[in-house]
Amino acid sequence: MRYATSRIEESQEHAPGSFNPLKPMKAVLTDVRDENSDVKTYRLKVGDGFSRSAAAGQFNMLGYPGIGEAPISFSGIGEDGEIEHTIRAVGMATRFIERMRKGSEMLIRGPYGRGWPLGAAKGKDLLLVAGGVGLAPIRPVIRQIMKNRADFGEVTLLIGSRNDEGLIFTNEYSAWQKAMSVEITVDELVTKKPWNYRVGLITALLNRVKMKAENAVAFICGPELMMRFICRALLLKGAAAGSLSVSLERRMRCGIAQCGHCQHVGFFVCRDGPVFPYKQVEGLFDGLL
Amino acid sequence: MSGNGTTGGPGSRIFDLIVPKRSFFSWLDSLRGRFSLVGPVTEDGQTEFRELGSSHEMDMEYQSTMLSPGKVYLYKPREDLFRFSLGKSVEVREPETDQEQRVIIGLHACDTNAVRYLDLTFLGSFRDPQYAARRKNTVIISLNCARSGENCFCASAGAGPFLEGNDGYDMLLTDLGEDYLVELKSGRALELFPVDGGSPAGEDAFRFKQEKEQAVVHSFRKKLDMDGLNGLLSKRPDHPVWRATAEDRCLSCTNCVMVCPTCFCYDVIDEISMDLKSVRRYRQWDACQDAHFAEVHGGNFRARRTARLRQFTTHKLDQTHQYGVFGTVGCGRGITWCPTGIDITDIAKEVQKSEVGSER
Ligand SMILES: Cc1cc2nc3c(=O)[nH]c(=O)nc-3n(C[C@H](O)[C@H](O)[C@H](O)COP(=O)(O)OP(=O)(O)OC[C@H]3O[C@@H](n4cnc5c(N)ncnc54)[C@H](O)[C@@H]3O)c2cc1C
Ligand code: SF4
Repeated sequence: MRYATSRIEESQEHAPGSFNPLKPMKAVLTDVRDENSDVKTYRLKVGDGFSRSAAAGQFNMLGYPGIGEAPISFSGIGEDGEIEHTIRAVGMATRFIERMRKGSEMLIRGPYGRGWPLGAAKGKDLLLVAGGVGLAPIRPVIRQIMKNRADFGEVTLLIGSRNDEGLIFTNEYSAWQKAMSVEITVDELVTKKPWNYRVGLITALLNRVKMKAENAVAFICGPELMMRFICRALLLKGAAAGSLSVSLERRMRCGIAQCGHCQHVGFFVCRDGPVFPYKQVEGLFDGLL
Repeated sequence: MSGNGTTGGPGSRIFDLIVPKRSFFSWLDSLRGRFSLVGPVTEDGQTEFRELGSSHEMDMEYQSTMLSPGKVYLYKPREDLFRFSLGKSVEVREPETDQEQRVIIGLHACDTNAVRYLDLTFLGSFRDPQYAARRKNTVIISLNCARSGENCFCASAGAGPFLEGNDGYDMLLTDLGEDYLVELKSGRALELFPVDGGSPAGEDAFRFKQEKEQAVVHSFRKKLDMDGLNGLLSKRPDHPVWRATAEDRCLSCTNCVMVCPTCFCYDVIDEISMDLKSVRRYRQWDACQDAHFAEVHGGNFRARRTARLRQFTTHKLDQTHQYGVFGTVGCGRGITWCPTGIDITDIAKEVQKSEVGSER
């Protein structure tokens, strides 16, 4: 028999007031910081009902009534019930959020999805590669490494951006450099500010990475084409396909494997991802990996 | 195909009865008041599931409906999710869950299996409160098919024409002419149906049922060999059939998705009141065939019709790693209601054909 299902039992009744997965909770903005002209980092105080067990790489649905919701990764996970999101204003929801001020109320639900396999990276060399706002979901990983530096071998962070104006978290780089080597490149320079890093594609930075690809674990987040080039280059350098993780972005309405928008050849990116082992999503149609 | 040894219902054969149709229908009518009755009604040649004034309105020989009962009565085309009031602080209100007690009569095997499929989405990793409440408050009386329709391929899909398994529904009817073979499949069916309402069904009733099933199985005109299909279609995303079918014929009208009993996708929409003081958030069915479905800021993962038709088709005839079952129940609606006659079984056969060719 192909179609088996669970019995519809008593326990499946939805008692009034019990958990509704689409119901958002209130959060209050406790701080807003400009990263650049269209990216800001928002610090949010979430209520007691919000899970304290968020993991790096997971995301929330963030929004406001009348505006809708957008999936946004954690860029910071505090132990004090405060979390951070770093958001580029591109459309309806994100532009609305951009106009919010300290003290404003927002609606949030989550955390959703699978995060970075940090456990599997323990004891190994770790390569982090981030393009554009893709650095946001990598930031909680950086912070965990800084907190538990001895758990990891060599750590290298490669940051790429379209231009120097588009970089985010710039005032944190020097702190990060104490715990790992940080390489930065931009496609072009547009500000007149002094520039001590590189100009060129992020793939070119791979040649500067000292760790041995065979022993390394890599977490990659950025535009899908960039992730493709990075993964293929790493495989050519001898990385094991199973050691590469990528974070995918798809349209999402629910975040809970129901609305179907994020489906990618049978995967629900919201639930089975957004972080996937590269080999699971490599070469799938309707994707660029 | 049914003979898995458990045909006798939960436990003993006492739960399988031969019931004269007349008594069955008067039992149904006796439920009115406590339950609202929903069943197939045919008008001007078209059948649809609707609320019944009396069981006499039902057409138990109907062939197919445009919309499946599961998607009209359990997973609604449009559903309110929340009301927000926008004062100094936002208030969120959840609508009450639907407590209407319903009996849906006459779901074919395909549509019953489609409900089981919807369960995987809405009672899976996250439980949808509205769906769960309706599922709980709805008694499902299924009906084995007496004949196959032009576009039916449930026998190929393993989802019909006779319903297998004992879970996910309450009663199963097989037409025996003057009588129904009534199999009681759930505790509440046992409670609702008077056990003395018929005579115990014996071996011969089940032998007759099996013969009937064989006759229907042999009557199918549309067939698809689904063994080995999973993995095959997704392995050939560049097969010319995708492009030829989609670019020449697909209108992206989304009919196929709307009539599909297993398609579960939805959109979430916020509607602001004129005085800007409250917001209604609702969901409504959405379709992967729609051009904007997979659009994100700065791109669209399925901008081309080819990609969208391929997503729809492989979701039905491949991608079984999603739920462990095929997404199709073989009801044939997507074929029937496609304005340009696109048939996903034809697409699959094209790919199968060239696969045989390439192995030589
Ligand atoms: C798992 C995940 C994590 C993300 N993390 C971040 C992050 O940390 N920071 C950040 O700036 N952005 C992030 N994004 C992208 C962000 O969700 C989109 O930019 C945002 O949804 C755009 O919504 P909008 O209403 O402002 O834009 P509009 O263009 O007005 O979008 C209209 C609708 O389309 C959908 N949509 C459009 N673009 C996207 C998209 N890229 N992804 C998903 N749905 C989309 C949304 O549902 C939205 O309501 C993430 C996306 C995903 C899937
Ligand atoms: S019903 Fe036919 S034409 Fe319309 S979207 Fe589906 S396949 Fe395309």
